[in-house]
Amino acid sequence: MMKSVWLILILGLLTACTGNMGRGIPAPVESRGQVIRTPPSVPVQPPVVGRVIEPIVESPARPVEVMPPATQSTPEPIRPSNPTSPVSALMASVDTAVAAGQLEQAAALCERALRISPRDGYVWFRLASVRFQQQRYADADGFARRALSFAGSDRGLVQATDSLLAQIAVAQRSR
Amino acid sequence: MTNSNRKTSARKPSKQPRWWPKYLLRFMLLGTVAVALWCVWIDYEIRRDFSALQWALPARIYARPVELYVGAHQNAADFNDYLRRLGYIQTARVTEPGQFNPAGSRVVLQTRGFAFWDGTEPSIAVEVGFDGQRVSLLRAIQGGADVPLVRLEPVEIAQINPGTGEDRLPIGKDEIPEALVNAVIAVEDQRFYTHYGVDPIGIARAFVANIRAGEIVQGGSTLTQQLVKNLYLNREQTLRRKIEEALMALALEIHFSKEDILYAYLNEVFLGQDGSRAVHGFALAAQHYFGRPLQQLDLDELALLAGLPRGPSLYNPQRNPERATERRNVVLARMAAQGYITAEEFEEARGAALQVSARPTSRGGGYPVFMDMVRSDLARDYDADALRNEGLRIFTTLDVSMQAAVEATLDKSVAAVERPTKGEPAPLEAAVVITDATTGDVRALAGSRQSGYTGFNRALLADRPIGSLVKPAVYLAALESGNFNLASVLADDPISMKLDNGDLWEPKNYENTTSGDVYFHDAMERSLNLATVDLGMKVGVDRVAYMLSRLGHTDNIEPYPSILLGAVNMTPVEVAQIYQTLASGGFRSPLRAVEAVTTGEGQPLERYGMETDQVADPASVFLLEYAMQGVFERGTAKTAAPRLDNQLPLAGKTGTTNDSRDSWFAGYGDDLVGVVWLGHDDNRETGLTGATGALRVWTDIMLELDIQQRQSLPPADIEWQSVALRPVRVAEARNCLETRSLPFRAGSLPDPAVSCENNGSLMERVFDRFRGW
Repeated sequence: MMKSVWLILILGLLTACTGNMGRGIPAPVESRGQVIRTPPSVPVQPPVVGRVIEPIVESPARPVEVMPPATQSTPEPIRPSNPTSPVSALMASVDTAVAAGQLEQAAALCERALRISPRDGYVWFRLASVRFQQQRYADADGFARRALSFAGSDRGLVQATDSLLAQIAVAQRSR
Repeated sequence: MTNSNRKTSARKPSKQPRWWPKYLLRFMLLGTVAVALWCVWIDYEIRRDFSALQWALPARIYARPVELYVGAHQNAADFNDYLRRLGYIQTARVTEPGQFNPAGSRVVLQTRGFAFWDGTEPSIAVEVGFDGQRVSLLRAIQGGADVPLVRLEPVEIAQINPGTGEDRLPIGKDEIPEALVNAVIAVEDQRFYTHYGVDPIGIARAFVANIRAGEIVQGGSTLTQQLVKNLYLNREQTLRRKIEEALMALALEIHFSKEDILYAYLNEVFLGQDGSRAVHGFALAAQHYFGRPLQQLDLDELALLAGLPRGPSLYNPQRNPERATERRNVVLARMAAQGYITAEEFEEARGAALQVSARPTSRGGGYPVFMDMVRSDLARDYDADALRNEGLRIFTTLDVSMQAAVEATLDKSVAAVERPTKGEPAPLEAAVVITDATTGDVRALAGSRQSGYTGFNRALLADRPIGSLVKPAVYLAALESGNFNLASVLADDPISMKLDNGDLWEPKNYENTTSGDVYFHDAMERSLNLATVDLGMKVGVDRVAYMLSRLGHTDNIEPYPSILLGAVNMTPVEVAQIYQTLASGGFRSPLRAVEAVTTGEGQPLERYGMETDQVADPASVFLLEYAMQGVFERGTAKTAAPRLDNQLPLAGKTGTTNDSRDSWFAGYGDDLVGVVWLGHDDNRETGLTGATGALRVWTDIMLELDIQQRQSLPPADIEWQSVALRPVRVAEARNCLETRSLPFRAGSLPDPAVSCENNGSLMERVFDRFRGW
């Protein structure tokens, strides 16, 4: 009798191990004599990609930019800045171009930055906001949605992008 | 009077000869009038044509420039090749733009700067360090500070030429170096400033010099005559043409200044041949022979160029350096003799070593396949004349290193998979499309296995059935419907379907077997036809057709069930558009080959910015990609996995059409999307599947391009759950001893029949364990 109880207890412990060992870390399984690595090839969140979207760190805050039409403004998320990084250098040029009213050049600079760092949600956001200023709302919408797809858990970027999307929707409706 | 004359002539025939002086007089008078009219006409023509003189300038097509930054994907050898393509000169010490000094994994160079459509890139001297395939250091020579980003000049990949094939770089009057003017005048026409277009003294001097030498050593033509000849006359050596030339030269001198004439000459003169392109004018010659702007050339180099008009081929410094040096020294000696330079300057320049840019002697076939795409894109906004004559600058997305790598790999890679065929002379053909996975920029194209092939452009024009490449659209439509997930169970069983036209459709799996119940992801990974038809019919053929159009297919698709297995024709470029949308996580960005167009002076005319449109739900695309990565790990592309070990995970799909007429593979990593098609133009069998043909070629190319592994960001509503490894339809049959963890959307979790996630009580799991025994 004691032997059966022990057997059930041991079995119980064993089965608890087999099914699921916690989210994202499944136990290795065997099939057809061949070991299958079940941790999926698609990485589990958060991903580590070439250019990680870093959490917001202390950096000199940029003034919130006012975008035409003058009545609308979008909170600008602050991108962690490193003056020697190519993307930061390009983003600084974007600011200069926007300030000089050269919006197409600003868009082109964003595209250059995206070729260097295609998963940088900030750059996508910036491109979206430039297109919004140019009143190219369909493009702005697409770029903002791509910004969201790379925002991950960056609440500042998500909020800014949501707000921009809302403005785009309003602008599109009023057309 | 008339009557009397008649009578006279009738009566006195002996006096007949008296008429001719009178007729002669009339004839001479008429002749004089005709010559005068001719002169007036020439004068009019010269005034009209010369004042409206405009060079027909070819459109220049540029590739995407190399951008340097720490972390950039670039190795030292490719980078040095790039600089040589740009005509940079290798020196031990870099002192001027357009020079470089490679030393192992480091290169010091000074860029030339370039007027891009989006702004001017300044010239900068930098040191670049490489660590394998990456840039590891980028530092300014002056000051030694780190530089974040340097954009090099773009490679000119092609020109759309005027009918004449002439190319030139017109320059302003104030940009012409004085030493060049002096050199040209010293050697070609030393009395230029004093004659009136024709120089009798010069002719006499040349005549004497030629008699003495016993051969033609000097010409008597002035610069004005040479200009007139080049601009308005043909090459024939007749007296009439010589007179015409002299008259035109005189007319030109009467109406225009010496400066205007000299300026036109310096821009017009023919100075060499570069493949099918004729090099005209000193500014282009400076770029062509020395890889530098005219203003930056030294005296010895200017003298060399000034010596070229006499015999551009004979004195070509790239081909005949000794003769070119001799000729240069003759020019320098004339300059010294005429007091344009001092004896010291003469000695110094004469001692200078000849240093010409090591450009490839022939520009080869260029990039005909990519240029077809550029032309078709430009045709929307520009007519052929504007492209041929207005000197437009066209900035494209082509990556020359990538294109070179594809061309270097393709032919031997295709040869390695080709099946020997009896009595079939035409070899297996190929097409390749490589695009940027994020932006949709076309980075390399091949329309044939032979590089530089100018015939049928298969990348753009081979409209072929895509076979199983269509399946991602079927599975994506299913995932988006919300009724299916990766663990949905599909029936891979025989199907017989009566079509609208009364025909019976009985599709088969490739290996003519059936697998029974299979998981959704497994059916996709193994490309099971019957399970796909089962799924597609449940989703609806029209929804699949609609998905294809959302992903970027523009042709109308008739929603027949056979499209579920790829009975829909596409070109390789159209396939690349669809896979680009998948690689972008469901954002469609139209493929583009042209980025911007400017005038010759750099004024922006047209900009083709990146566009993007969300066409599929990101969570569904993420789930689909799990299965497309599974294609390499467990499915039809498994054979390529060992070679791609450092690159995996990657996503892709094989495609084979009926009787293996087409072998396809389309796949992507983080940076690139690649599509490979293999087949015969006459549509005969290749004996290859997608896996035995196109996949191998794709793998060869992607290893060469060092494709980056795929690391997709799961959308917020994705969670991972375990399901039984073997699919079942009832919970009683489920075996949770062998499980696989799969991603699911929160609202579409696995069916309880297969779920092994927190299922039931401890006792149930115990029973599972017993069932497993």
